[in-house]
Amino acid sequence: MDSSHAPAGSLEAREATVAGPAGSESSRSRPQRRSGGRLPGAHLERFALPLLLVLIIAFFGVFPASSTVFLSGANVSVVLANQSVVTLVALALIFPLVAGHFDFSVGGIAVLSSVVTAASMAHFSLPLWLSCLLGVAVAAVVGAVNGLLVARFGMNAFVSTLGMATLLGGLIQWYTGGLAIIGVDPAFTTFGSSAWLGLPRVVFVVAVLAFLAWYLLTHTPFGRALYAIGSNNRAAVLVGLPLRRYTQTAFCLSGTLAGLAGVILAARTGGANADNGTYLLFPALAAVFLGATAILPGRFNVVGTVVGVLFVAVSVSGLTLSGAANWVDQVFNGVALLIAVGLSSYLGRRRSGQGT
Amino acid sequence: MAAHNEHRRSVPAAAAGTERPGEHAGTVALAAHGLVKSFAGAPALSGVDLTVSGGTIHALLGGNGSGKSTLIKCLAGVYQADAGTISIHGENLPARQVTPRRARAAGLRFVHQDLGLFDSLSVAENFALDAGFPTNPLHGIRWRELQNRVDGLLAHYAIAVRATDRLGSLRPSQKTMVAVARALADQQESEYTLLLDEPTASLAEDESRELMAALRSRANHGQTIVLVTHRFREIEEVADHVTVLRDGIVAGGGPVADTSIAAIVDMMSGASLTAGSAGVEAALRTPAPPAQGAGARSPLFEGRDLSRFPLSDVNLSVASGEIVGLAGLAGSGRSTVLRAIFGDTALTGGSMSLDGAPHEPSSPADAVRSGVVFVPENRHRDAAFLDLGVRENASATVIGRYWRRLVMNLRMERDETHRLLADHSVRADGIEIPISRLSGGNQQKVILARWLRRKPRLLLLDEPTQGVDVTSRRDIYRSLRDIAAQGCGVLVASSDLDELAELCDRILVLVEGHIVADLDPADTGRSALAAAVMAADHTPVHLRKDQKTNG
Repeated sequence: MDSSHAPAGSLEAREATVAGPAGSESSRSRPQRRSGGRLPGAHLERFALPLLLVLIIAFFGVFPASSTVFLSGANVSVVLANQSVVTLVALALIFPLVAGHFDFSVGGIAVLSSVVTAASMAHFSLPLWLSCLLGVAVAAVVGAVNGLLVARFGMNAFVSTLGMATLLGGLIQWYTGGLAIIGVDPAFTTFGSSAWLGLPRVVFVVAVLAFLAWYLLTHTPFGRALYAIGSNNRAAVLVGLPLRRYTQTAFCLSGTLAGLAGVILAARTGGANADNGTYLLFPALAAVFLGATAILPGRFNVVGTVVGVLFVAVSVSGLTLSGAANWVDQVFNGVALLIAVGLSSYLGRRRSGQGT
Repeated sequence: MAAHNEHRRSVPAAAAGTERPGEHAGTVALAAHGLVKSFAGAPALSGVDLTVSGGTIHALLGGNGSGKSTLIKCLAGVYQADAGTISIHGENLPARQVTPRRARAAGLRFVHQDLGLFDSLSVAENFALDAGFPTNPLHGIRWRELQNRVDGLLAHYAIAVRATDRLGSLRPSQKTMVAVARALADQQESEYTLLLDEPTASLAEDESRELMAALRSRANHGQTIVLVTHRFREIEEVADHVTVLRDGIVAGGGPVADTSIAAIVDMMSGASLTAGSAGVEAALRTPAPPAQGAGARSPLFEGRDLSRFPLSDVNLSVASGEIVGLAGLAGSGRSTVLRAIFGDTALTGGSMSLDGAPHEPSSPADAVRSGVVFVPENRHRDAAFLDLGVRENASATVIGRYWRRLVMNLRMERDETHRLLADHSVRADGIEIPISRLSGGNQQKVILARWLRRKPRLLLLDEPTQGVDVTSRRDIYRSLRDIAAQGCGVLVASSDLDELAELCDRILVLVEGHIVADLDPADTGRSALAAAVMAADHTPVHLRKDQKTNG
């Protein structure tokens, strides 16, 4: 999608690494050999994760213990549909992260939104469309509050969103009393579980939202400014970028996306569970950091994140079908997160020439 | 702590008894002979001699690059000199073998410009972090003992604070004295030699005066003090001797009583005595800017009575097409002037106008909208997006321009970036590499170019060529002259006087928040400019004020 962005760029970056202190003459004397040798390397870095994903799909497609089910339409549908919520939560994480802030409350916001949506239908008999709107609106408000705390009051996002996540978990427990909410509009559940063109309907919703997020981050001045803010917020202010407003907007978008994730969650489960959302947060974090190692290495980006979600989901699905115990899911997520964080910070450092 | 006690023992104990003023006077406390130090073949010190008598305050003066900080670092053992000897209380040490540990053992104590104090801790804790906490057998801290000891030291050094006070609540001069007392905490008598590196660089006038009085009183108690400074008044007020460095050699020195300010300026700038002092007089008496110039060029920007610490009642104007220099030392308020005009800091008083209309920027973004742009001093911290590409850095000021038909027009952005880099002679291996991979000079050219492409009305620059190589410097000067020729007003703050002399049509000299002179570089010598910048003497202000009322 944004391949226009970087093949030349990363190649040049590689050459600069080589040229760096040695001076331009030495690099100019042997450019042919260098660029010839570096070309596959630069692409390998960008497409390592997608390639790994393809290899894993191929492996489990052939591996006897899983091959019968793994590539079947049913399994593909289940994997994609199950990951729709995590993908949206991951997209919600990207915006604050690009602006340089963590947002730990996205999991909690998603669950809150699912509770509000389900309760509006089950407890207050509101129409389907209004319930969904309410769920997303509540989530957007929580995101706006997060933005207010970080952008206006200068609170540390790491701590304040952790506080918000805890608070939301508590409120959800208080309202639900720890019980699941059931009795939503049947049309809602149908939407969550039915397919269109052979794929679950929710997948199309996620695809549209992922496209919008990608568009916002790469093809609007807002997205470009957000990357600048995340890179150096003092410099961003001094070139006249609206630091506070854009940071606030990033958190609002984050809340809204998490709210949409919550609506999809309610549709998928046919109600809402009392939970604090950490089971959504951690896979999403892993996916976002994995995503920062691909496509645009060293930067949080939407395409990489989607690949990251699929990578974890496909791997876990394959392992489960091969007979691995159910703790494998968590172990895999944890290891993926550790490797992803290490790799993405290493790539980011190297890109800016500090780690070489 | 063990190491600490060791030092204590190794120091030759001075005669016991009460303090006798001038005990060490006459003896040589610290001497250096023929110190030579070069870095990668470039000499920083070429045969420096320094003799500091005990119980005196010895001022060490010199401009940027004169070698005074190299000298201090050689004495401290941070660098090892290539040749020469250092003798401390008559004990000779080859300068090559001086290490921080040996310098300390010999009784040299340093207070650096960064005092190494922690604002959020108490005074007592700040002491203990250096000397160690007194502990009981269970390794718990004996707070009572620590407080008593620190209170005793504070009383001894006449610092009017308590050991339990939070360091952040102290005034700046008190903080410096706390650092002094901490450095000297383990001396028995006043046998150590204290070296202070530019202690007043960031202090306001009254604060630095207070600090000087405190140091003078220590010297009167027999303490030997070496004071690295660039403020003339301090030397006159407190120092007994002065040594002036220039280009790695001793340019002159002697007892302060026998040395005039004019003579010191000449030593620093290298001008001959007579010509230099004439220049000083001329500089300090330069009348208001040429009247015909002011009439011909309508002022583009005007600031009246701008006040914001450390500035007080600063008046300045920049005409369209004019390059105005703002000369001043660190702490003179150079950067504050620029930041106030750019809306990055609020003024406590005064008014500004741009093209006749009031200029009251609420934020940098607001200033940018009205055509005022700013290149900050600290490129890495305040200007560059280090991990973003050259293209993204170059178009950060004009992102909106490339948003055409609902997408970012990358092709147009790339073409324009290539053209921009070529126009400003930026040498980079492509436009997508991170800006951190460029040399400092090329980074600065990108930072400057991204503002110039907006065709600003007023361009503010703070130290535009810091860490920039000579060729890039030429390119930057050329870009600045070009934009000025197109009618943009340029205001450059710099500590590099040669740069200002070369670049500017007019130079304003800022000393401790006041504009003390308004010079034309064409008829002002380099030494006169240096004299005006470093004169921490307020007479020129009054002089100029009188002239204004007269004329």
